[in-house]
Order: sequence, then structure tokens, then C-alpha cells
Amino acid sequence: MAIKYSREKLGDGIHYTTIVNSRQKTNTMIIHLITELSAENASVNAIIPYVLSGSSGSFPTLTELNKKLSELYGAVIKGAVSKVGDSQDLALMAGCINNRYTFEGEKITEEMTSMLAGCLTDPHIENDRFFEKDFELKKQELLDDIDAEINEKRSYAFKRANLNIFRDEPAAVSVKGSREQAEKITAASAYEQYKKLLKTAQIEIIFVGAEASESCKTILAEALSKIDRAYSGDNTSKKSPLKSDLCRVTEPHDVAQSKMVMAFKTDYENSVSMKLMNAVFGATPISKLFMNVREKLSLCYYCSSGYNDKKGVLYVDSGVEHTNTGKAEAEIINQLEAVKKGDFSDEEMENARRAMINTLRGIGDGARSIADWYFNQSYSGKSDSPYDQIEKLNAVTRDDIIAAANSLSLDTVYVLTGKESDR
Amino acid sequence: MEKQIIRNERTGEQYTYVKHPTGLDIFIWKMEDYSTTHALFGTKYGSINTKFKTKTEPDFITVPNGIAHYLEHKLFENEDCDVFSLYAKTGASANAYTSFDKTCYLFSCTDNVYDSLEILLSFVQNPYFTEETVRKEQGIIGQEIRMYDDNAGWRVFFNMLQGMYHNHPVKIDIAGTVESIAQINADLLYKCYYTFYNLNNMVLSIAGNVDEDKVLEMCDKLLKNNDNPELETAFEDEPETVCKPEVTQKLEIAMPMFNIGFKAKPSKGLEAVRAEIETNFVLSLLADESSAFYKRLYDEGLINSSFSSEVFMGDGYFCSIFGGESRNPRLVRDKLIEEIERCKKEGLDEERFNIIKKSYYGALIRDLNDAEAIATTMINAGMEKISAFDVIETVAAVTFEDVTKRLNDQFNTKNVTISIIEPIDSVNNDSGEEEQN
Repeated sequence: MAIKYSREKLGDGIHYTTIVNSRQKTNTMIIHLITELSAENASVNAIIPYVLSGSSGSFPTLTELNKKLSELYGAVIKGAVSKVGDSQDLALMAGCINNRYTFEGEKITEEMTSMLAGCLTDPHIENDRFFEKDFELKKQELLDDIDAEINEKRSYAFKRANLNIFRDEPAAVSVKGSREQAEKITAASAYEQYKKLLKTAQIEIIFVGAEASESCKTILAEALSKIDRAYSGDNTSKKSPLKSDLCRVTEPHDVAQSKMVMAFKTDYENSVSMKLMNAVFGATPISKLFMNVREKLSLCYYCSSGYNDKKGVLYVDSGVEHTNTGKAEAEIINQLEAVKKGDFSDEEMENARRAMINTLRGIGDGARSIADWYFNQSYSGKSDSPYDQIEKLNAVTRDDIIAAANSLSLDTVYVLTGKESDR
Repeated sequence: MEKQIIRNERTGEQYTYVKHPTGLDIFIWKMEDYSTTHALFGTKYGSINTKFKTKTEPDFITVPNGIAHYLEHKLFENEDCDVFSLYAKTGASANAYTSFDKTCYLFSCTDNVYDSLEILLSFVQNPYFTEETVRKEQGIIGQEIRMYDDNAGWRVFFNMLQGMYHNHPVKIDIAGTVESIAQINADLLYKCYYTFYNLNNMVLSIAGNVDEDKVLEMCDKLLKNNDNPELETAFEDEPETVCKPEVTQKLEIAMPMFNIGFKAKPSKGLEAVRAEIETNFVLSLLADESSAFYKRLYDEGLINSSFSSEVFMGDGYFCSIFGGESRNPRLVRDKLIEEIERCKKEGLDEERFNIIKKSYYGALIRDLNDAEAIATTMINAGMEKISAFDVIETVAAVTFEDVTKRLNDQFNTKNVTISIIEPIDSVNNDSGEEEQN
């Protein structure tokens, strides 16, 4: 299980992480730009990785870029944007097969890395702005994406719930921002913001492959050395404060099944204990929620919990028949009360622990999963391996779980429900 | 016991195939240094297999839709407990899925692999249901069907299949309908179980850090001998033409979503692999992100990056599907037909063919990273009675001429159907009748 991990400084607020894993048949390079999530900038930030991943100075059109990537045995460069606590993570990701699998031993990893570096530092611009025509299409796509959030009701309910759970906090902001903000972006304003981010954002680069590549690191270090950095400092997230009154929101929609999101808040510090409590309570198919709310009472098709350790929020997410939302809510609270009272067997606790260990041990087998693992470690200022986490998990006691459960208070109940006339 | 090493020179990879005396086909792929083991135990029984006969039941019978999926749910329950609680003791993460043509039970673990394997092999071979437990499941499955009623991506796909197929059961939702599952009872479940969950109709596939001998030892201990029922499945005749050229529905979404399907003739075994790969080349050449066609429609704002294409095929059905979001899906369809006809006349781009070939090969190598992908490839190949390396070898061997021929022979632009999900409140009623499902 020899995974080698190292993280080194490449510049002010710029780090390069190498994860070497002999199993990998592919090489993965991810560049994260991390910045504060804000209603004002979320949309303009969100468009940047999509603009950058679609062209560069050397490959000015998507067609040219894709053609070259296909020649590199179907290498991939793509943009992504996600929310990490109170921060926004703008990522450029690239991946290709190992050089040793190519027909003629071509050095495709280095070529791919150069292309990625080009996308990041040498975008396709004209007159001090992103190339207008392509930019407008990306903007339209961002608007379409924001509009399309309503298509998937489960994630849409989450988005709406977040507005209420994190009222007045950065984490309330949707990761792609609002339509109003997105409409205001121009090729010039986005390019300005891009230049600002290159200077100020926290930059985490993560490489995963069968062997470390000095040449790839050099390619990126050289590209980044041209930036005149004015680093604004590491990003952090604050635990979400509990509201003085329970927040209850119901929104009617045209749906066959209601979606209910409940949020419990905590300031409990030991996140490993809370994660084990979460597994006992609702994160696995042997948890209290699954066994009781879904299986025994058939109240929901899905009903599970998740823990956001950066914000100190435990979610319960469920799909319920309209008429059953009240019953489901009462039963979910019932099950949490059971954990608070210590009403769970040693077997339930050990089962939950085993399920978590199983997941942790598998993280090293996948390039993305191990890259994401260490990204989260870096964000939190840690460098634990999945195995370090297993050790901590093994030390969690029944009392720790009970204490974790008792620290939770219901903050928000959000229900996306069908209209009265519905069926 | 018949044992064979299947080796592939191109990738240097290999796996073992064993024909077990009980009739079960077993595939084991050892992945040194990996932590994860992924195992699948599956039957060649999916939602489309509603019509069948056996040597004890010589006339074809037809059963209600949704039984394969219902059985999958019910097998997860033992006489005294839930299967998840058995796996809880090994720490494995377990699941199951029912597709159009197979039902698979799986686990993924990093420890206690043989204990998990024992659970897998045991519960799938030991059905237990009563009228009462069957009735209870109707609530959960009913909820599942309702959940998909709200899922526009799922609806647009099934509505397209409803438009494309006259008779083939692939057009019916995998879970069935609220009405069809109401007809399911314990007797029907047992009948279908004993018909399809026969080891002669099943495959076991394991990839990961496992000891082959130990796996086979477990199989000898746990697999039950059963008589080969000589199962035969059948489908109603399916015309070459589409059933309806257009199906529309309204849901609460932002922009119209569409699926455009071109119906083609189905094939089997290695020929089906060839057809699938060659058609995938055609789809890439016609309309992938690097194609001139894609760029043109994208630049015109007619499609966005959600536009994609796929081959959808199985026992008795084969079609090419283009899907995405558009403000004018019917125009996308018309332009697609125009482009297909143009390529038939003027030919495809040979330079791009060679690039796409490299890119496919790369994607197949990427799959070798992952125990789940490997185990899935083996079980799919095993059920089709082909080798897990046939795909990679077919991709390596495919020529530009093969792909051109595929375009000319298999893309009849008259056999097209379009499914559109329109936003509720849209005033865009230019054509087509309302079709509610």
C-alpha cells in the first residue's frame, strides 16, 4: 500500500503535492484556485475554469485543443467549480494514460502538463479581454447551468435549503452564483477577475501518478513564476452558528415526490467522532435512518445523513410522499434522539466503523479519490493519510459518539413539496 | 472444472475463466497491490425478459413488468435479517442493480473478502419472501418509481424509447409501473427466480487483490447444484420503423431537453461488440466535441456542452442516441439528419478517425485502473460469451472502411424519433401532441 505523499512550496501561497502510487495506469494533474465564496464574485469566478479549459494561446479554439488531446491518447482537460465550506474552489483538471502505455513511448504526460499550464497562464485573449465570441457561449452556458439547477429536484432542494441554513454566511451562496450576477459578467470583467485570482488566490496543485515527474513540476513552476503574486492568505471556513429559532421553509413545486432537507448544527471539535456518529445515524444502509425510516416504515425512498465538517452541519436528506413529510420528520428526530441517549448497540457502532474503514482503505486505489483526499487535508491545514484517519477512528468510543450526537441542534427544516392539486 | 487463463499481449493483462460444474461461469482478475476487491454475482435477467419458456414450461408465458427489479429488492431480505446487516460484519459496501438485460449483486471491500463472498453467494441462492414481505416492498418501489417521475433525464430517455419501439419491452421503465407492480405476488417472484437464477444463466466476476484458489474453494463449498432448465427468452416481433416520430412531455425544468434516437438492427455476441464500437466511431466522427458539426451548432447556440451521443443496445434492440438541451430540439434533429446524409455522400474524416482510435484506446487503458470497471467489463463480456479483451482488440482492429460501411448501412435517417421534455409554462406549442406518461 505504498502511497508516497509530499507537498512543497512553489511560490507565495502556491503548493505542489505529489502522490505517487505504483498502481496508477494514468497520470492526473489538478490545479485548484481557492478563493472566498461571495455573492458578488461567485458567478464571475465560476465561469473562469470553463473559459480556461476550453482554449489557450497555443490552442485558440476548443476544436484545436480537443484534437491535440485526442492525439494524446484521449487526454482530458476540464474545468470544475465547487464549494468547500465558505470557499470556492476553481479547478483545472487534466488526465492521460502513463507514457509507458503509448504505442511509441511518447511523452504525453509532459505534453498534457504544458497544455494545462498554457490554459492556466496563457488564455486565448484579444484586446485585454477573453476572446469575446467563445466567452459569450460560455456565459450562455453558465446561465443555462444556473437555470437548469431546478431540473434535479434533490440537489435543487439542497441548494434552496443552504440559503436558509447558512443565512448571511458565505456558504449560503450557490457555487455558480445567481442569474443576476451571471448576466452582468463581460469578457473584460472576467479577464480582470482572472488576473486578480492568479495573483491572490491560494493555489494547490496536485499530481497523482505511478512515478513522480520532475519535468511536469518544472513546467508548472516555470509557468507560475511569471505571475506577480500578491497573495491574500490561506482560506478558512467558520462553523455555522445556530439560529435562535428553528427555521422552517416550505416551497411548492410541480413534483411527484417531496424532498426534505433537515440541518442540525454543532460546534463539536472532534470531526472523526462526529463522522462515526453520522455513520451510525444515517450514512450507511445499516444506519438507523435507512433501517427504520426507509425499510421498517417505508416512509422514504432515500433518507440519509451527511456531515459537513467545515461548517459543522449534519444534513438529513430525504425523498418523501407529500402526506408523509411530518411523519418522516418526527421519525428522523426520534432516531437522532436514540443515538443521543446511547440507544445503539456495540454491533451497530462497530459495523459503522468497519464501513468507514472500508471506504478509507479504498481511497488510495483511485486517482481522483486520493487527490481529493489530500486537497481536503491541505485546505484544512493537515496532512493525514487515510490510514492516519483510520487510527483516529479506531480510538473513538461510544461516549464520544453520544457526546457528538448531543452537541447537535436542529436549525432548519426545508421542504420542497408538491402543489395541493397534485395527484 | 474447466480452467483457462485469458491473456492479452497488448496490455500485458490476464484473468482466469472457470466453468464450474454447477454451470456457473467464473471470472477472476488478480490486481496486485490494490486494496479494493470488487465482486459481482449476476443473472442474465433484466426488465426486458418478461416472456420465456423452460423445459418444464414448454409454452411461452408473459409476466408483469418490473419483476426482475422487484426480485432484486426482495433478495436483499433473508428469512431473519436484511442482507446489509450481514455485510455490516465484514465492512463491505454492498449494492445491487437491475438493468434492461441483467441483475447484479455486488460488493466492494478492502478486508474480509472471503466472508463477504460467502454472504454474496449465499443470499443470492436463498430466496425468501412471503405475501406480506412482498406487499410491504410495494411502498418502497412505488416511491422509487415516483422519484423517477420527477427526473427529466430519465423521462426524456424512456419517452424516446416509447417512441422508437412498437413492441420491445425495453420501452418500459425498469422498475415497471405502479399498476404493473401491483400484480406482483410471491408465487410470481418464485417462478421467475427459479427460472432465471439458475447457475447456468449466471456469472460471478471478481477483480482485486484475491487468491484464485481460495475463491474457487468457496465456490465449491457454496454453489448449489441445479438442473439446467433450458431457458429460452423471446420478444414480440419488432418492426424496423419507429413507432412514433415524436413524443413530448412537460416537467418543471429550465430549458427543453431532448433525446434523438436512430433505430438500427440489433445483433449478438462479437458482432454486437463490433457494431457498438463502429457505431461509436460514427457518432464521434459525426458529432463529438471536436467535430465541425458540434462546433457549428454550438456557435449558433443551438446546443450546449450537455450535448452528447451514445449507442444503446442489448438483446433485440440497437439505437444511436443524441441528447442534450436546446431551445429548438427539432432543428437539432433536422441538422443532424442533414449532416448524416452529407457524410454518407461526401465521406467521413479519415484523419480524425485515427485520432479517435487513439483516444478510445486510452479510455480503455484508463479503465484498467479500477477494480469495479474491470469486474463490470468481465461480467458483461461473460454474459455475452465473449472475452473481456474483445473490446480493446476490436478497437485496435477497426478500420476507416468498417466505420464508413457502418454509417452507410446502419443509419437510416427515416427511422428517427425525437423525445422532448418541455418546461411547464412554455408557450412553445408549435407542433406535436401532448403525451403524458
